[in-house]
Amino acid sequence: MIAAPPPSHHPARRPGLADLAVLALVAGGLALIISFAREFRAPMVAAVPIDLRPSALPRYTMYSFIRGVLALAISYLFAVGFGWTAARWRTAERLLLPVLDILQSVPVLGFLPGLVLGLVALFPARNVGLELAAILMIFTAQAWNLALSFYNSLKSIPQELREACRMAAWPEWRQFRQLMLPAAAQGLVWNGMLSMAGGWFFLMINEAFRLGDHDFRLPGVGAYMSVAVEHGDSRATALALVAMAVMIVASDRLLWRPLVVWAQKYRLDDSAGGPAEESWILGVLQRSVLWRLRPAARWRPPRSARKAALPLRRGIRRARRMLRPRRAVLLVGCLTRGALVVALAAVALGAVVGLYRVGRLLVHLPRADWGNLAGAAGLTFLRVMSAVVLSTLWALPVGIWVGTSPRISRALAPVIQLFASFPAPMLFPIVVLVLAWLGVPLGFGAIALMVLAAQWYILFNVISAVEAAPGQLAEATLAFRLPPWQRWRKLYIPVAFPSLVTGWITAAGGAWNAAIVAEYVQQGSAVRTTTGLGSLISLATERANFPLLAGGVLVMSGMVVGWNRAVWRPLARLAQTRFGLTQ
Amino acid sequence: MTAATTPPVLLEARNLTQRYRQPNGQELEALRDISLTVREKEVVAFVGPSGCGKSTLLRILVGLMRPTSGEVRYRGEALSGVLHSAGMVFQSFALLPWLTVAENIAMGLEARGASPGETTQAVERALDLVGLGGFANAYPRELSGGMKQRVGFARALAVEPEVLFMDEPFGSLDPLTAEHLRSQVIEMWGDGANRVSSLVVVTHSIEEAVFLAGRIFVMGANPGVVRAEIANTLPYPRQERSADFGAMVERLHAVLTDTLLPEVKPAAAAPRLIPFPRVHVAEVTGLLEHLIRRPEGRTDVFDLAERVGVDYDRMTAVVHAAEQLGYVTTPGDAVVLTAEGRQLMAVEIEDRKVALRSRLQQHPLFARVLEMLRQGEGELEDTDLLEDLTIFFPFIPAQALFETLVEWGRAVELLDHDPTRERLWLTVGG
Repeated sequence: MIAAPPPSHHPARRPGLADLAVLALVAGGLALIISFAREFRAPMVAAVPIDLRPSALPRYTMYSFIRGVLALAISYLFAVGFGWTAARWRTAERLLLPVLDILQSVPVLGFLPGLVLGLVALFPARNVGLELAAILMIFTAQAWNLALSFYNSLKSIPQELREACRMAAWPEWRQFRQLMLPAAAQGLVWNGMLSMAGGWFFLMINEAFRLGDHDFRLPGVGAYMSVAVEHGDSRATALALVAMAVMIVASDRLLWRPLVVWAQKYRLDDSAGGPAEESWILGVLQRSVLWRLRPAARWRPPRSARKAALPLRRGIRRARRMLRPRRAVLLVGCLTRGALVVALAAVALGAVVGLYRVGRLLVHLPRADWGNLAGAAGLTFLRVMSAVVLSTLWALPVGIWVGTSPRISRALAPVIQLFASFPAPMLFPIVVLVLAWLGVPLGFGAIALMVLAAQWYILFNVISAVEAAPGQLAEATLAFRLPPWQRWRKLYIPVAFPSLVTGWITAAGGAWNAAIVAEYVQQGSAVRTTTGLGSLISLATERANFPLLAGGVLVMSGMVVGWNRAVWRPLARLAQTRFGLTQ
Repeated sequence: MTAATTPPVLLEARNLTQRYRQPNGQELEALRDISLTVREKEVVAFVGPSGCGKSTLLRILVGLMRPTSGEVRYRGEALSGVLHSAGMVFQSFALLPWLTVAENIAMGLEARGASPGETTQAVERALDLVGLGGFANAYPRELSGGMKQRVGFARALAVEPEVLFMDEPFGSLDPLTAEHLRSQVIEMWGDGANRVSSLVVVTHSIEEAVFLAGRIFVMGANPGVVRAEIANTLPYPRQERSADFGAMVERLHAVLTDTLLPEVKPAAAAPRLIPFPRVHVAEVTGLLEHLIRRPEGRTDVFDLAERVGVDYDRMTAVVHAAEQLGYVTTPGDAVVLTAEGRQLMAVEIEDRKVALRSRLQQHPLFARVLEMLRQGEGELEDTDLLEDLTIFFPFIPAQALFETLVEWGRAVELLDHDPTRERLWLTVGG
């Protein structure tokens, strides 16, 4: 029998512990969703009173987690739609890729007022609007790299595989399901992991912010943290940090590790590859008997029902035959194309209207404020670059040191991963305390805060590049007895350079984002601030000074995009031609 | 097949032309005005140097690509979209790694309206046909290259095609496996146990074309055209070691040489710019080194290719380069060392560079590059030369030609290049 399901690797067993675990997981998930749905439908309360007792923390953490997951789900939908459209039509590609590039550089505060005011106006009676706004703000930190990853995966599907599917006369939908999604699966999972971490970055702002004279607060671990800091409650602050760490570790073990292992099935290259990742959770899931209870896959309606449906089926078949001719296909093609044109026109129109709106706002911005913006932008730019340099100074040597030793790298990997996905802004209050105690002014302290947000990207990239360096090159440097310093100069630094540039790009992006929270810090009831673009944007949001906010966001996006185009990209190209390992 | 009744035409290509616009704006003519027919019950092969557009031609015949102009007719009807009664075998196998062998083979069946039961049966039949009965539930990455291509064949055959298209089907297999699979394909085609009527195969191996095909189209590059059509009436199954087979291979060789290495015409009034072949310095000196050890410094191109173990395309390119520099001549299939060639081999290795340099300075294309460099006061931007090359040789990838010129220029110390600054400059020798 050929179509029979592949023989199961596990002998038939009675339900056991694995099933109990799966059932518990499912039940827990359901309970969570129900509880969160209740919060969704609750009457609108702009600022929920946050309960600082430790017993309330698990519920808050769960709420935050669900927001992150929902935002990720929306991000995936967006990514698939975006990537598919951009990869399928050249016109769309030319319009959408630059739009993505710009959106990527807009800090979340640029979206905040529009989202919050719009959605709260849409649902004035219930919490839905505010919740949706929070979710969409998380989405703005998650979606872009996912979309780019899906687009790149589609673009790199081998030509012959596409042709094989066309030879098989697969309809578009099937090609999407069985060629494109599997081919992109690994990229989507890895980038989903990064997006999830990125989504937590602004958790404190997303869940608790001030817009003009309105205070908004949603139940969640971010809001808990904000309130704890505001009250100077150090025990609650510490607890919030622990809760966040637990959530990150748990989602890594329960969600991402199984997904990564599962996605290995969808590798495009034939090679056996490196050591396979393992996940005990996936093991439990696969061992469970429950999966074999899936009747739907093999379910056929009873004979009487099939008989009754016979005339209907004939009709369907006839309709199908009528629809088969080329004309129908052409019609569908035309409709899709038309729909696409309308959608693209809508995007373009949206962009134009948005620009017009922003333009009208900017007209109201006094000339003095433009001057302030320019000065502040210069200061923040210097801070961002200092943060990148400082991060490189420690992360490059440490990265090379870790990367050259498999033992150290294995031992440190989980720790580094936890730190890297921990949202740096949640550590800021503590660091600010230390800085204040040391007597460092925030103007310089902000650089330290940015380093916190930027360093991991550099460290990660250096480690992975050094680990991937061909072993024979290292052996050659040993064979020719290069002294240690020469080995670094001749081998490891050049090998790490292309990845280092990639790390710089991401790190600088992180530092720009961090500026918003680093230059404007809430400390107890007081606010510590220093001149800079980030503090201007934060201030504008809090005072609901929308012209200034628009100007600040515009300047920041412009600087990020401009610097990317003018410096990072040429540098990345140079790094690839000069130090790339392909010969 | 008898000569008296010609079988009806299955596929007909009329005036196919294919042009591409490359990312740099350069227009590339892959095929120019190709007309041909494929009849029932025959095997047709396309051979030719790489870049002659034979794979493109195959894809146009299947309907995977649309020609810029011209049309394909199947049993008299113009083709739009993929040819329904075609199966295709790919060079890289093109199996979906996340589907099992059985699921890969079933790919094309459901879309053709097969019920689950019919699908199962067809997959089983196809698997038995290629001798992979026990592997239905294996994943492609568990199989060897030969087995993967068997799955590729099974997938193509499962849809019971009338025409089976193959794009270098044995190109990524080891020679033994390839030979075995080749015989099986011909056996399967001949025994009439399936609906396959005709085979269309693209290959770069002359032996393979002679082994498989009843008609062989020899193609030339830049732009891709059909240079010759050769009938091969050897009876199946063909014996590769037989004298007739050898004679046929020789004949095809001769045609290929004639189309690829035409006799050098008497020198025209002005030196015409000809592109320099994409070969390395060491390959040309290696060729001369080899020739000088042959009696009279003479050998046969195909013999040479076989002896040295490089494919025929590559060998002709090397011979071309040596001929452009005046080190060899190519009367007929032969390659003969010239007096200049002997001279070069006679001098000490250190002095060869100088001798080769003076030769290169006389080569029209190198002379032009040197002239451009002198006009730029010894320096030149990459883009300037690339643009120049694009204008003179619109159908040749300029980047590859550029790299060859730089390599040769460096070897004789005429010029040097910095890829990061993207500049060329003259050195001492220039």
